[in-house]
Amino acid sequence: MGLDAATITDGLTEYLSGRTGGEVAVSGVHKLSGGAIQENWALDVVVQQGDWAGEHHLVLRCDAASTVATSHSRADEFALLNAAHEAGVIVPTPCILCDDERVLGRRFFLMHWIGGVAAGHKLARLTDMPGLAGELGENLARIHSLKPPRDDLKFLGEPPDNASAAAIAMYRSYLDELDVAHPAIEWGLRWLEINAPDPCDVVLCHRDYRTGNYMVEDGHLSAVLDWEFAGWSDPLEDIGWLCAKCWRFGANDREAGGIGSREDFYAGYEIASGRTIDRDAVYYWEVMAHVRWAVIACQQAARHVSGEERSLELALTAHVVPELELEILNMTEPANA
Amino acid sequence: MREQPSGKDLLDIARDVLRDDLIPALPENKRYPALMIANAMAIVMRQIETGEEGGIEEQKTLGDLLGEDGSLNDLNIILANRIREGHADGVETWQALRGVAVGKVAESNPRYLIPRDESPS
Repeated sequence: MGLDAATITDGLTEYLSGRTGGEVAVSGVHKLSGGAIQENWALDVVVQQGDWAGEHHLVLRCDAASTVATSHSRADEFALLNAAHEAGVIVPTPCILCDDERVLGRRFFLMHWIGGVAAGHKLARLTDMPGLAGELGENLARIHSLKPPRDDLKFLGEPPDNASAAAIAMYRSYLDELDVAHPAIEWGLRWLEINAPDPCDVVLCHRDYRTGNYMVEDGHLSAVLDWEFAGWSDPLEDIGWLCAKCWRFGANDREAGGIGSREDFYAGYEIASGRTIDRDAVYYWEVMAHVRWAVIACQQAARHVSGEERSLELALTAHVVPELELEILNMTEPANA
Repeated sequence: MREQPSGKDLLDIARDVLRDDLIPALPENKRYPALMIANAMAIVMRQIETGEEGGIEEQKTLGDLLGEDGSLNDLNIILANRIREGHADGVETWQALRGVAVGKVAESNPRYLIPRDESPS
């Protein structure tokens, strides 16, 4: 059943009155755009007394009607937001998690509303953001300061002994679930297998840290969003994902996500982390980024083709696969070609 | 000859109306879906133009590479398996795959094939 503004207003008013012990008024509930997997609703809450007294601009985040098995639950995402917030990562401040499905028919959490622009095709056209690439680097370093083991992030599972081998095995298993074979993506995976780096200590990786998944206000980073794919991995995975050509939204000369220079991004990361980024090693993870996006695009296309979720956006995603395959091949050209 | 204009021509003129007359008049939040429709129409136009040739060409390329006969689907499965098992690491595999990929991109997004310094900005 779909959620609507009236259901949220009524359900939340009652729930928050119970949680805060004060008189609560919920208003201005409206659905925010984007989010195939989750829904985000903006709303205002006024609490008369107690710890929450005052006016709050919040976002309610819950599962959309269809969910993808590989993404985290709202409870897990809430734990990730909390951990990131404590580590100084710029995220919407998490407020409250509701595991009781009786309230709105699905689990949800509330976080602070953050202003700004997230759309990649808009950000890639803006010019006056000289500090943004460095801020993204600095902020990513803070995410990577979180290391296993952590009791609050147990749902992430055991850290892999070998992050690249684990990723290759996972993407192969995803391809095996599809009806059509994809030899060009297999070529990319084979190249990744042959050229795999030595295993390193894994850290918390966002695993979807790219333009489109963070907010920018007045030229500065205002929030990192979309934590549902986070996991333990090689820190270079996030760096390669942000810099990969497939996530530059056409602004190819701005190699850090279409918004700034690669060196500015690296510098922000290196100063905040105290570690030097191995420039050559990032290339491997940029190939991995194209392979991963190609596999996900094939999965999204299959959701439309199978009739599971008919959608023009998913249908068009199928037609991104050829250019990803071509990029994978161009990046992995044999020396004697 | 059957009725003119052709399906491709109809799509072409319909897309012009969508792009030139409708999209500029749409509110901001409806432009993206409309642009997606225009993109989908352009892909269909290019597929009509290529017809079955793209698939036939791909089948021949893969058949020659593998030294096997079979449907396009079967040949893709055989090649995918050989690559994964490490029995097709050679340059001839890469060349065949790249040829196929270029053909597919010509339908899905031909702008991607233009070298950057030649592409209109």
